[in-house]
Amino acid sequence: MTAAGLLIASGLAAPLAMAAGCLWPGFRLRAIGWIWAAPIPALLAALFARGGGIVMSPDPLRLTLALDDVGAMLLGGAALLWSAAGVYAASYLRGKPGIEGFAVWWLLTLAGSLGTFMVADMTSFYLAFSVASLSAYGLVSFETTARAKRAGDVYMALALLGEAFILLAFVILAMGVPVGNPLIREAVAALPSSPLLAPALILLVLGFGLKMGLVPLHVWMPLAHPVAPMPASAALSGIIVKAGVIGLIRFLPLETELPGFGAGLVALGLFGAFYAVAVGITQRQVKTVLAYSTISQMGVVAAVLGAGMAAGAPGTALLAGFYALHHLLVKGALFLGVGVVAESGQRRRGLIVLAMGVLALSLAGLPLTSGAFAKYATKPLFGDGLAATLATLSAAGSMLLMLHFLRLLRQMPAADPDAAPEAGIWLSWAVVAVASLVLPWMLFQPVTGYALADLFAAKALWTAVWPILLGSVLALGLFRIGTALPQVPEGDVIVLAERLMPLVRATGLGIERADRWLRQWPVASAMLVALAISFAWMI
Amino acid sequence: MMPAQVTAPDGVLLVLALFLPAISLLAIFVLGLRRPERIALPTLAAGLVVALIVALQVGQSGQAATYRLGGWLPPLGITLRADGLSAALIAMAALILFVVAIYARGNFAGTAGGAESRQPMVFWTLLLGLATALNTVFLAQDLFSLFVALELLTFSAVPLVSLEGSRETLRAALRYLLFALAGSVLYLIGVALLYGAYGTLDIASLHQVTRADRATSIALGLMIAGLMAKAALFPLHLWLPPAHAGAPAPASAVLSALVVKAPFFLILRLWFDVAPQPQPAIAGTMLAVLGAASILVCSVLALRQARLKLMIAYSTVAQVGYLFLVFPLVMGSEAAVPWASIGWTGGVLQLVSHAFAKASMFLAAGLIAEAMGHDRIDDLGGAAQAVPISVAAFALAGLSLMGLPPAGGFVAKVMLLTAAVVTSNWWIAATILAGGLLAAGYVFRVIGKCFADPAEGAPPRNAVARSRELAVLSLAGVALLLGFLPLQPFAYLGIGQGGMP
Repeated sequence: MTAAGLLIASGLAAPLAMAAGCLWPGFRLRAIGWIWAAPIPALLAALFARGGGIVMSPDPLRLTLALDDVGAMLLGGAALLWSAAGVYAASYLRGKPGIEGFAVWWLLTLAGSLGTFMVADMTSFYLAFSVASLSAYGLVSFETTARAKRAGDVYMALALLGEAFILLAFVILAMGVPVGNPLIREAVAALPSSPLLAPALILLVLGFGLKMGLVPLHVWMPLAHPVAPMPASAALSGIIVKAGVIGLIRFLPLETELPGFGAGLVALGLFGAFYAVAVGITQRQVKTVLAYSTISQMGVVAAVLGAGMAAGAPGTALLAGFYALHHLLVKGALFLGVGVVAESGQRRRGLIVLAMGVLALSLAGLPLTSGAFAKYATKPLFGDGLAATLATLSAAGSMLLMLHFLRLLRQMPAADPDAAPEAGIWLSWAVVAVASLVLPWMLFQPVTGYALADLFAAKALWTAVWPILLGSVLALGLFRIGTALPQVPEGDVIVLAERLMPLVRATGLGIERADRWLRQWPVASAMLVALAISFAWMI
Repeated sequence: MMPAQVTAPDGVLLVLALFLPAISLLAIFVLGLRRPERIALPTLAAGLVVALIVALQVGQSGQAATYRLGGWLPPLGITLRADGLSAALIAMAALILFVVAIYARGNFAGTAGGAESRQPMVFWTLLLGLATALNTVFLAQDLFSLFVALELLTFSAVPLVSLEGSRETLRAALRYLLFALAGSVLYLIGVALLYGAYGTLDIASLHQVTRADRATSIALGLMIAGLMAKAALFPLHLWLPPAHAGAPAPASAVLSALVVKAPFFLILRLWFDVAPQPQPAIAGTMLAVLGAASILVCSVLALRQARLKLMIAYSTVAQVGYLFLVFPLVMGSEAAVPWASIGWTGGVLQLVSHAFAKASMFLAAGLIAEAMGHDRIDDLGGAAQAVPISVAAFALAGLSLMGLPPAGGFVAKVMLLTAAVVTSNWWIAATILAGGLLAAGYVFRVIGKCFADPAEGAPPRNAVARSRELAVLSLAGVALLLGFLPLQPFAYLGIGQGGMP
């Protein structure tokens, strides 16, 4: 048992202990003021315990924590955002009803999401993933409006569906290893030789894709993100979505060359990247636009993973993780920033909107920002073909979507021109924003192996700039036609799915009628006789 | 004939497990008409101790505990035998009965010094009758003793349904009685046929001699169908929802958690210990198809119920369906013996974890109904403030029913899923997952309502005793603890199985 191992364990224990402490009303009432501290041990673990590990229970259960490079990188980013969002939430939600319950759900979601980055065995991963996934319901449905209720219901239904897919995939994975609770890497190493490789991969993409918002499994996201309170949206879009990313990183056999499947994932991801932009530009609400942006970006991450898998390229996990970290911090800062803008008067907005502009364009790969680093580092995975062109073009899509976002942001109404947000709100936003700009500079070289100077070669700069120019031109066109675009309802295809509800209800009614018929005395007796005869005949 | 030394010393405890509740049942008639719980509660506590010692001894010795009544060898004498599975099940039954008894003091305490009242006395004697019957089902080794045990079980269970004496519950009880009677008749005909064919009813003897012939097939077919009726497997579930929903909460808990498991246990024994092996695959598939239909249809029906207890009752039919999935999973596995397969362990774990979860759920529903004055799901707003511990217990038990970690139901579900994938029964895997989603639907619906704001002008709530709430929580806690078992076939459940000669 090492110091590093204990530090990792404390990263998980701290939020769980605080959640348990909420059983005591004295703490529960004040918990919201302390949720910022819950991820601090995890942050320290990410900084100082990389490469460490600890076995929490002996054979055959062997719950194991371990912090590899990808895990440490995402854990650090997530812990930072959780902590900042915690400070933000304490100010933002002060005095609202239901805030004690919110703190409990927050702590549980936090514990689960941090857990997904540091567990090494399958049972613990499923547990951590489920806790994060299901507890987040409490964050989505915090407001008691009908809109929040619908978002919460859709979220919960799809989260459970995702759990079912993942569970079946895990069962197939675990079959390859003859122990009770295999380590993730053992199970994944055995997967490529399994006769059930194809169903396992499809189930993994379905299950984790639901969490990532991979089109067409993204429908919960544009419903959930806008209705959750601002800091919860930041956590959902920045961190919870990454539970799906780390799932794919951990469980896809990335080091094995699987061209067909890799190409499929690239196609799915890139389709989603463009589709989400197309729907996103018709939206009128800032948070909904950000939600579609997340869907688009996660499409790119999926494509990165697919491209790496198609080539069996080593280091794919780390590169995808780097991209995810960039998105985690930037999207977190953007959501928190929307709240800062909303609480600032027109006179104070200038600098804030400018900073938001830099953050937003980072998603499109603006040079010198984390987005440019992430896109540069992942580009070689796509090779030189159509996929590479489309991946680069998706940056133009992001540019278009982000300019639309900034336009909506500037139009946000402010009651009092001199209004200023509380320190807790703007400071925590500023910390995440600065981290999103600084951290990738520090990580770029060690993670990707490229020199920083490579980024400033003329060719690299041009590759980063032309999609931005293209996106800007498209945006001019968009602003010209402006409101003439038909508005796609939030959650797009969910609306089609909801048309089927009468059919579902009719089925339920039909089953009820059938049950009433079967429970009649003569019918049930006849069934009994029929079953007795058929069993006598069959056995 | 061998002399009587074959009896192992620890076997005496098996007799105790059977006769303790039987004797104290008689003692209530003689002594304790006014305060029957003062006799019943210590008896059930002693029964728990006995069951736990038996379970420990079986685990330590790695052998089945056996006792031959009167020293007679079968087929003349009656043998009691606790292998790993039986030992686990009597421990489960004893624990649940004891906790239910603690809870039931709140419903059925006799009045000190006053006139004896009908309800407490009936309840406590029937509870002891159930304890005797269940232990006999789990320990007896010949088909006729098992028949007697089943009848005792039915006669103890049916009046529990109509304890309130309302017209509605009397109808439900009558329906239960008649259908159980039909099941008994089928079972009895089967027993007679087997006796005619082989001249013995001892399971160990039958195991060696049964042939795959017409008479055996008919006997087994009739017995299994009869037992299915008693287990309320779809489409023979007509009696269960009104009976389990109409009974008082502690009675519902025992009926749903334990009583419906007894006929399933007997089907398991007929299938693997009596029937000539291997059984035709189609018959196993047929059982699983009915199980799957139970899961899907009754989960949807649970989702559509307006009353909490009816919802839980339909959930019982659905959850019992999971048990019947075991047959093709075990038969298709490559394990040398059934109890070494993951499907077998998963099925048993499903039985045990459902027992604890469902007992907890019915008891919690009872307290919620006492506090709110009704059990209409739509009007449960405010229940979470009125009886927070009960609602928490309901939620924890629900976790097990949904098969979410870290609950016993989760481990059971993963084992059954694994078995389904290994044996390429994909339709079973899909059914298990769909059942979990539907269960999540009906559990979350209730929890959501419990946390909603109370309706305007809702009547004042009644207080319930904290100790009863904690009893409910402890059962849910056991269901949760089962979730920390490793995902492997348990050697314990195989103890004594190989010893079947």
